[in-house]
Amino acid sequence: MRNYLTQRIARAVLTIFLVVSFTFFLIRLMPGNPIDLFVHEQVTTYGYTYEQALEQARGFFALDIDAPLSVQYAQYLGNLARGDLGQSILSPGTPVSSLIKKFLPWTLFSVGLALMISFVLGIGLGMLMAYRRESWIDHVLTVIATVTTAVPNYLIGILLLVLLGVQTNLINIASIRGSLSPGVRPGLTLTFLIDALYHAALPITTYVMATAGGWMLSMKSSTLGTLGEDYVGFARARGLPDSRIAVAYVGRNALLPLFTQLTIAIGFVVGGSALIEYIFNYQGIGLVLYESIVRRDYPVMQGVFLVITVSVVLANLLADLLYGRLDPRVDLTAEPV
Amino acid sequence: MNWTTLKRNPGGALGLAGFLAIVLLVIVGPLVVPLDTSTRLDQIYAAPSRAHPFGTDNQGRDVFSQIVHGGKDLLWVATLAAGISTSIAVALGSISAVAGGHVDNALMTVTDVVLTVPHFPLLAVLAGVLQFRSQTLLAIILGVLSWPALTRAVRAQVLSLKERDFVEAATALGLGRGHIIVREILPNMRSYVAISFVLAMTQAIYAQVGLVFLGLVPLSGQNWGVMIQYGWTRGAIFHKSSVYSILAPIMAIVLLKLSLVSMARIFDEIFNPRLQEG
Amino acid sequence: MTESLVSIRDLSIAYRGRGGTAQALREVNLDLYRDETLGLIGESGSGKTTLALAILRMLPPAAHVPQGQILYHQDGRAVDVLSLDAERLRRYRGEQVAMVFQSALSSLNPVLRIWDQFLDTARAHGETDQAKIRARTRDLLSHLQLEPERVLSAFPHELSGGMRQRVMLALALLLRPRVVVLDEPTTALDILTQRTIIDLLRSLRQEFGFSMMFISHDLSLAAELADRVATMYAGRIVEIGRTDELFYEPRHPYTVGLLQAVPTIHGDHRTLQSIPGSPPDLQRLPPGCPFHPRCPYARPACAEAEPDLLRISDGHRSACFFWDEVRGPDVGKIA
Repeated sequence: MRNYLTQRIARAVLTIFLVVSFTFFLIRLMPGNPIDLFVHEQVTTYGYTYEQALEQARGFFALDIDAPLSVQYAQYLGNLARGDLGQSILSPGTPVSSLIKKFLPWTLFSVGLALMISFVLGIGLGMLMAYRRESWIDHVLTVIATVTTAVPNYLIGILLLVLLGVQTNLINIASIRGSLSPGVRPGLTLTFLIDALYHAALPITTYVMATAGGWMLSMKSSTLGTLGEDYVGFARARGLPDSRIAVAYVGRNALLPLFTQLTIAIGFVVGGSALIEYIFNYQGIGLVLYESIVRRDYPVMQGVFLVITVSVVLANLLADLLYGRLDPRVDLTAEPV
Repeated sequence: MNWTTLKRNPGGALGLAGFLAIVLLVIVGPLVVPLDTSTRLDQIYAAPSRAHPFGTDNQGRDVFSQIVHGGKDLLWVATLAAGISTSIAVALGSISAVAGGHVDNALMTVTDVVLTVPHFPLLAVLAGVLQFRSQTLLAIILGVLSWPALTRAVRAQVLSLKERDFVEAATALGLGRGHIIVREILPNMRSYVAISFVLAMTQAIYAQVGLVFLGLVPLSGQNWGVMIQYGWTRGAIFHKSSVYSILAPIMAIVLLKLSLVSMARIFDEIFNPRLQEG
Repeated sequence: MTESLVSIRDLSIAYRGRGGTAQALREVNLDLYRDETLGLIGESGSGKTTLALAILRMLPPAAHVPQGQILYHQDGRAVDVLSLDAERLRRYRGEQVAMVFQSALSSLNPVLRIWDQFLDTARAHGETDQAKIRARTRDLLSHLQLEPERVLSAFPHELSGGMRQRVMLALALLLRPRVVVLDEPTTALDILTQRTIIDLLRSLRQEFGFSMMFISHDLSLAAELADRVATMYAGRIVEIGRTDELFYEPRHPYTVGLLQAVPTIHGDHRTLQSIPGSPPDLQRLPPGCPFHPRCPYARPACAEAEPDLLRISDGHRSACFFWDEVRGPDVGKIA
């Protein structure tokens, strides 16, 4: 287990480092370099002198703009180590890190809950489809799964709004959008919890509808394959009850190949949060990213992108470690292909 | 491909038919159905009727004609992006699998890293920073950023094919590595590559429409993504009668995606001659 | 007269397939007696695997049983295996009749420890006293020359192929079944492990007193282990008798053909001959005796009617009209 663990962690660290560097160079080296643009804008539009503009930029980006690139890079890394991600241009005085602290938990909450629900639902239904192959329930679920995976998740969100809120009036759109009702304060109270769930319900439903289908189809095919394995036959030949076989012999083994999908799903759902949160006006980190891009708030954009990516990397690491616990064949010599 | 293949796979056949129908509509349609640009203030957000099968938009323009004209850009970008990413993936995947050793390790590490970065936020950030002014540029960026997912899979395929008898025979005959890749291995991956191409198209559609929807790409021309964006920002979904102007493009996109996905399933049968026995 | 444990009467089993219906078993009659080892020998497609699976009612969904019975005799009563309800069938499997599959590599659940797999087996049949289960398991494993503590806490992939084979045997014997069916017990093994397994099977049968039926294409295995041998062809038993009878005085051309294909260490050197032709298409069997297209003794009569198992002596039967003309090769002395 040790080797697998260290290897995965090392890979995660390397990825984070590369992404950090990539983000840095993206902002600095792209044509239409936002920092230079910002400085230029400050000078031409607001009449600051070049030095004053530089000073401003320094404050926002926490970097020495006129220092050589390598120095800036070092500064950047140093800042990150201290948790300094710069300041928001559009809300001066607000450190990017505090914005992240405020909004990230909401996204983690909705995305995390959604992934868990989707996974459990998908696996359960997938197994059901495999066990009841060719029955009407298999056909119906297959169609549902195929159709829902074909609809982009943000379009599912729009359709949910349309169907539930506008065409039928099942849900009061005005009140369900956003992440909290006005007047409710965050805290460990039941009112807060219920309110948060009420507002997260639509985003979570959207994520689940968009991803459960994929799990269902994969689990169905994995289960079908596992059902044909010799150890299942041998278990039946020893008179083991169907329930035990389904859980410990079929289920646990059929699950394992799905873990590679989990890492992709995590990236996909977190990545889609920008769109979903936009649709439901859910105050999470995705919405912050969107707004920072549109309003050209570069330090925020940079910081949030970094955090989103790091979250995905860490979540993937967790998934990998979980897989290592579930599959006893993962051992010291593991070198994934 | 013959009738038995299609009969055995009704879903795939339907997908193929649907896709061809959409392509026809989208490419030939504009030549037949003129784009309705007239503003009819008395017919804003009209419900579907004989004159306007999909109703009208916020300026009284016919939605159906907009649908007909709105697929070209989408298909063009999707195809170009898929072509680029599939080519890169096939090339890198094969090279990595055949070269092995350090080259393989390095390439796979880079692939994994790029793969882990969430796709859409990266695109959104790039869109914000680079300002995609042309559809072609968008397609290129999409293609260049989508290769990692496919590369790993291609590499796995090539690795397994590498061990097969016909490759051994070719090597024994002294045929060069390049020859082996191009003439022996790749033809056996035809179905796989075709499926991956189609799926890459669906990814590109997702990214495109998403970016347009958020308004991060300049809204040029007429396409389904733009229609959704207009509908959204002008509150079309909030009224019962106006909803059609946004539902129509959504349905069009969904149908396109569905037919692509169904098509992918039939490619295995078409391209795998071994499966075509009585 | 030894008592019969399993009686198979006029059993026919067919598989629905793409090209039509394949007749895997055709009116098979067979008894497995107490305290004996019966070897079922035949090529693939002969029906031997189907017969073995049928005894445990573990046929694939595509199979159906147009006629016949499988009776299991217990305490003087005969149980109709084919009509057992689900729960009784579950208890029957493992407690009364156990089956050991061919490939030990994939017969053990990769994510459970060996001990858990024993525990599952015992619990499934109502035994809850863990200490008792543990003791019996260790006893069994020791018999099979395995170190109990080391094996029980391991996962299947941590054990060698031979060890897994023996674990599988132990699992099958845990509940002291009266009948053990083995599918190709030595085919996937190397020579040394084969030897070990054969010796183990002999001593286990002595110790625990079960009846054993094994299926194989390997006639020499039958020579080592079996008290009686039945050769099968195209879904029927074509010859059955004591091992020495079949080896020294085979009375069916197919049995002769099998014998001629087996090299012997003892006796004179012979040219090996394989049986000409190929196994029949089970969906389209030739008229009359299914073996006649490949048979050196074939006559026009053979294409007209299919012979029943004709009595040669007590316990020795052959499904050939001209059995008295059939002669076997010199097989030397069997072990």
